[in-house]
Amino acid sequence: MDIELICLLAMLGVFLLSNLLLKLPVSISMVLGALAGAIVGGEGIPLRHLFEGTFTYVDTMLIISSAMLFMTVIQESGALEALNSVIVTHFYKYPALMLIMLMLVIMFPGMITGSSTAAVLSAGALVAPVLLLIGIPKEKAGAIIAIGSIMGMAAPPINIPAMLIGGGVDMPYIGFDGPLLLLTIPCAVFSILFLGLKHCRNLDIEKLESGLDLEVGKKYGFKLYIPILALFVLLIASKAFPAFPQIGTCLIFLVCAFIGLFTGRKFNFWEKALKAMDTTIPVLAKLMGVGMFIQIMTLVGARGWIVVSCLSLGIAAVYIASFTVMPAFGAISSYGAASVLGVPFLLVMIQQGRCSDIVVASCLSFLCCLGDLMPPTALAGNYAAQIVGLKYKPVLIHCIVPFVVCIAVGLAVMLNSLTFA
Amino acid sequence: MKKRIPLNYITAAVLCVIVIVLVIVLAMQFGLANEKEPIYPGPGVTDMKMLSTWFPALAGTNGDTEVYILDSGVEGASMLVLGGTHPNEPSGFISAIMLIESCQPSSGTLFVIPRANNSAFTCTDPQEAAPMRFTIDTNNGTRWFRFGSRATNPTDQWPDSEVYVHASSGQQLSGSETRNLNRAYPGRADGNFTEKVAYGITQMIQSEDITITVDLHEASPEYTTVNAIVAHERALDLATLALWMVEDDMKISVEASPKNLHGLSHRELGDYTDTLALLMETANASQGRLHGRIDSALVTSGVDKFYARAYGYGSLNVDYPETGISISERCARHITCLKEFCEVYDGDKGLISLGEMPSYDEIIRNGIGHYLSDPQ
Repeated sequence: MDIELICLLAMLGVFLLSNLLLKLPVSISMVLGALAGAIVGGEGIPLRHLFEGTFTYVDTMLIISSAMLFMTVIQESGALEALNSVIVTHFYKYPALMLIMLMLVIMFPGMITGSSTAAVLSAGALVAPVLLLIGIPKEKAGAIIAIGSIMGMAAPPINIPAMLIGGGVDMPYIGFDGPLLLLTIPCAVFSILFLGLKHCRNLDIEKLESGLDLEVGKKYGFKLYIPILALFVLLIASKAFPAFPQIGTCLIFLVCAFIGLFTGRKFNFWEKALKAMDTTIPVLAKLMGVGMFIQIMTLVGARGWIVVSCLSLGIAAVYIASFTVMPAFGAISSYGAASVLGVPFLLVMIQQGRCSDIVVASCLSFLCCLGDLMPPTALAGNYAAQIVGLKYKPVLIHCIVPFVVCIAVGLAVMLNSLTFA
Repeated sequence: MKKRIPLNYITAAVLCVIVIVLVIVLAMQFGLANEKEPIYPGPGVTDMKMLSTWFPALAGTNGDTEVYILDSGVEGASMLVLGGTHPNEPSGFISAIMLIESCQPSSGTLFVIPRANNSAFTCTDPQEAAPMRFTIDTNNGTRWFRFGSRATNPTDQWPDSEVYVHASSGQQLSGSETRNLNRAYPGRADGNFTEKVAYGITQMIQSEDITITVDLHEASPEYTTVNAIVAHERALDLATLALWMVEDDMKISVEASPKNLHGLSHRELGDYTDTLALLMETANASQGRLHGRIDSALVTSGVDKFYARAYGYGSLNVDYPETGISISERCARHITCLKEFCEVYDGDKGLISLGEMPSYDEIIRNGIGHYLSDPQ
């Protein structure tokens, strides 16, 4: 047995033991797992590596933190309630159309930032109250937001896993729009109709209006929406115009949150911000634990063992691994899955010479994005659950059918890539 | 029930102390990355300038870097060798140092930038678990060299946007490429840190009317472009002629620089300057995704059982023996091709020759350390 496999088993064993038996938090369990791997691998306690591994997620953690502050502001200022009122009162007669529109709204931030986290925390937070209001149960609303944010992350124009995979084989990010739309739009439409339509076939507007705060919108008017508009304008401008100052997604959220302090209801910002951060810290800690875990996996060779083991099984197994191991790797990082597994998998598939490179890379990136649903990290599922006020397990259970359909669509398009070649 | 740590002043104080101790210890460890390995200029070096000579805005920044000039005194063509564009690809860096320490051109002028992205030498890539330094044995002692990152240190340029838009072409790449020097050419005087470094190099090439520019790289063995010379269309003849001269020594291919892949030296330096732009790739296991344990030995010996297995599965684009592909072999490829680029150049700017240089076989037989200065 390879020493690298022994290290990997030690890491997984200690992680599971800590999390399931000792009931320690996922973040602490991952740190302990990483330490176990380093010790078994003869590296002692490599402080530098443990610390360095977390740095992959510094930007993500800052974005999550700033987005949480933005969410808090628009909730407390009344902007969220006002927006819900507008959507429900205008579209309640056409529930299927309304659901599809809501899905596109959820996807939109992911499409322009390439991040499911940004989608969940911005549009997901806006849409969640609407979904709940029209009668969709919390766990299904969370599932819709989670799946929608992932479809947004995978949809064009920005799909970062596709860029990472393409970058690994010198393939310019050109020509991906068609395949990515083919993969994401049908899956997104199916998911929201499957999860939501039966709950909102016959909507009673009087009942809906009784659950809405129609006054806040009238009192503050258009200015209530300024932070939301500013968010979308800044996100789009920073992507669409290279000359636009690149202040970063984190600062965009903070600027818009600051604007929101003056456009609606007054509230105690510090108190609410502290509460928001208190709920956020466990997710941030989880990301740091994951960072340490993957760095130690690389250090002791366990990462290489996983990739080479997949490659050793031949082309058929690479296809199987692409829709099993690759999304599963998303439990560590979907971007990591694209870089670590996506690139060698694409190379193996290209070597077969029977497929369209761009279609296969699109499918692989799509499958990587689905990794954001994988526990324990489950970035999209975790935050979607938090938005609807649940633990992430019930939300993830409702993601299973859409997830399987997405996998099937991804695999079908990949296997049929001959027709695109 | 999940166990919760009691929230009180004692636990807060304990945690604060732990954090302070860790910060101090880690700051000392990471601070070592700013220490540069010594380079001992050999008898061929006639001058050393900083890149800021050609682009003063770089002066005093971590982007400023040494440019070694080896002027033969005989009028002729010139060549610029870029090492350390990606400091996690060490054979380019070591080959550049070998030129500085032992090359004596007999005609024309050689310019060498060993640390093209100086900032990227001061950090390593998160989650790649790379060593911060590696060692090479010379004739009389062991020298250490910095192993760095593919990208500029975030302390010099941060944050990355989610999507990197190459300024002159509008091409979109993953945001992680924002700090990649070899996606920043031709650079911008008012651009970000990395674009400014690229701009400085472009300015230098234009000001000095550099005839040939060779950017020395390495690639993971599973990468499509490996053991290859990538040439701008104006440099294709030069690359092909050199290929004929070296193909008895090594398996190597010539690839034309893709016209739709922007920001790379072989594309943009060829388009924006008169230089004949070339880039070389050798196979480096330590930067790949398939390697096993990573340490200094992997960087220099290239011995890796997983790469040897992957070669057996047909997953690589190079022959990967169980004995590995050593840094001596990788440097031998670079040095041999550099020598031939000079020998076969027959343009209107006169001749250039690197003088007496060891052959491909000699470098492999004696080891690259044999051609480096002893530690002083």
